[in-house]
Amino acid sequence: MNGAPSRTSTNTPRVRAGAAALIAAGGLAVSAVSAHAQNAAVQPPLVAAPVANGDSVDTVHDPLQGFNRGSFGFSMGLDHAVLRPVAHGYMAVTPSPLRRRVSAVVYNLGEPSTTVNDILQGKPKRAGRSSARFLINSTVGVLGLWDVATGMGLKAHDADFGQTFGRYGVRPGPYLYVPVIGPSSFRDGVGRVLDFFTDPVGIVGGGYTTTFGATRLGVQTVDTRARADTAFRALDDATDPYVTARSAYGQYREAFVREATGEVQALPDFDNDTSVAPAAASTQPAPASPETAPAPSTTQ
Amino acid sequence: MISPETLMIDARPTRRFAQLALVALVGVGALSQAHPAFAQAARDPQAEQFVQTRAQRVITVLADKNQSVAQKKATFHQAIDELADVPKVTNFVLGKYARSITPDQRQRFAAAFRVYAESVYQNRINDYHGEVLKVTGSTVRKPGDVIVNTTISGGQVGQPLPLAWRVMGGGTSWKVVDVQFKGVWLAITQQQDFVSTIDNAGGNIDVLIGQLQRDAQRSASR
Repeated sequence: MNGAPSRTSTNTPRVRAGAAALIAAGGLAVSAVSAHAQNAAVQPPLVAAPVANGDSVDTVHDPLQGFNRGSFGFSMGLDHAVLRPVAHGYMAVTPSPLRRRVSAVVYNLGEPSTTVNDILQGKPKRAGRSSARFLINSTVGVLGLWDVATGMGLKAHDADFGQTFGRYGVRPGPYLYVPVIGPSSFRDGVGRVLDFFTDPVGIVGGGYTTTFGATRLGVQTVDTRARADTAFRALDDATDPYVTARSAYGQYREAFVREATGEVQALPDFDNDTSVAPAAASTQPAPASPETAPAPSTTQ
Repeated sequence: MISPETLMIDARPTRRFAQLALVALVGVGALSQAHPAFAQAARDPQAEQFVQTRAQRVITVLADKNQSVAQKKATFHQAIDELADVPKVTNFVLGKYARSITPDQRQRFAAAFRVYAESVYQNRINDYHGEVLKVTGSTVRKPGDVIVNTTISGGQVGQPLPLAWRVMGGGTSWKVVDVQFKGVWLAITQQQDFVSTIDNAGGNIDVLIGQLQRDAQRSASR
């Protein structure tokens, strides 16, 4: 879980999607430490309003569940056959300090895309921060190998088109598990396509057809999968991995959008009486019966 | 007419503008750090102290290289009792089925869930290798319902990792009901996982209980 959370600042849609999938899974794996997670110390706003939903949590709107489950199964099979072995091989032959440098370079190349969305969201301070980070880390930090900007007080944050839409009130819409790419929603899916076409580094670097573009995509994919390894293992522990990934993805994305809107999260009420039916049933009638019981006897 | 001198003069402001722009960008970035985006609501020092002590203990137990696996397991079990409101969480993760479960099923589910959760989370926290927990703040949602923000660092954690704990109680008596990482709440996710599994089994809670027992064995053997 790693990356999850954080950021999908990878810019190609494919990579972003992969990152999101990982992230989704990652939410569970409290253990995963991604470069992104490391960079992004920005927490979703937790100033939660005392809004109780009751004890049951609303689930993600998923009218396409049949297709999505098939797509999820296919994608996980493909992961087991191809991506996981590649990522595990990569992790076996490289020490984690080296992998962190790779993650840092990948992350740095996503900063301009973050700036674009900061601007679209009307957040000049954040735009200033992400662009300053890119300039500093690309130069002083040697092509993004070292995140010196964080040491200067310029902490990382993420932004993408899905968040930008959410910032202006667009709801996620139906959940969508895109084959190979991973969990998404109608809103975030459109966002990913826009992320791809507006990515300044992608525009300058020339897409996947150039050596730079193809290398970047390959490195991003392996880096993202490696960082999400703990998240994938967390999915293995779930009784319904499909729903677990969907739940984690939905929560992660909504927290990410709240980061832009400043809204607070409504949380379920752990004390809801209806959820403790047996206890509530036994305690409520109990006090009542002694009072009602004598009543008939006193009536004469 | 444009003389060469004019051209030279024009070039200077351009360079100066570029320099200024860079300084301004960095400056704006630095400035934004000085003003937290979100004003802090009321904090609860006692809830913070509780998380600092009890959550740190859970992490310390698993990072202790001097204990045997069996010792760690036993200490972890005890540390979880001190940290978490196990009955409340056990009830919560059943979602709507908490209302229809029979007493016998509830008892079997509670036992299976406990073994499953300990096995899974012990593995997960082990993977994570964090060693030091530091409270960074808290937010009172309402009296007795507080979110405590922490970071975990040390071990193999590169940079501090943010983790939030939802604690309920009051005074010096608190218990954790949920943990959040990157926007994802553990108990909420677990509830959706379990409820879906029971839904898909036509409402038969025994199917979930059986699956938890198998998963716990598998997880323990890893």
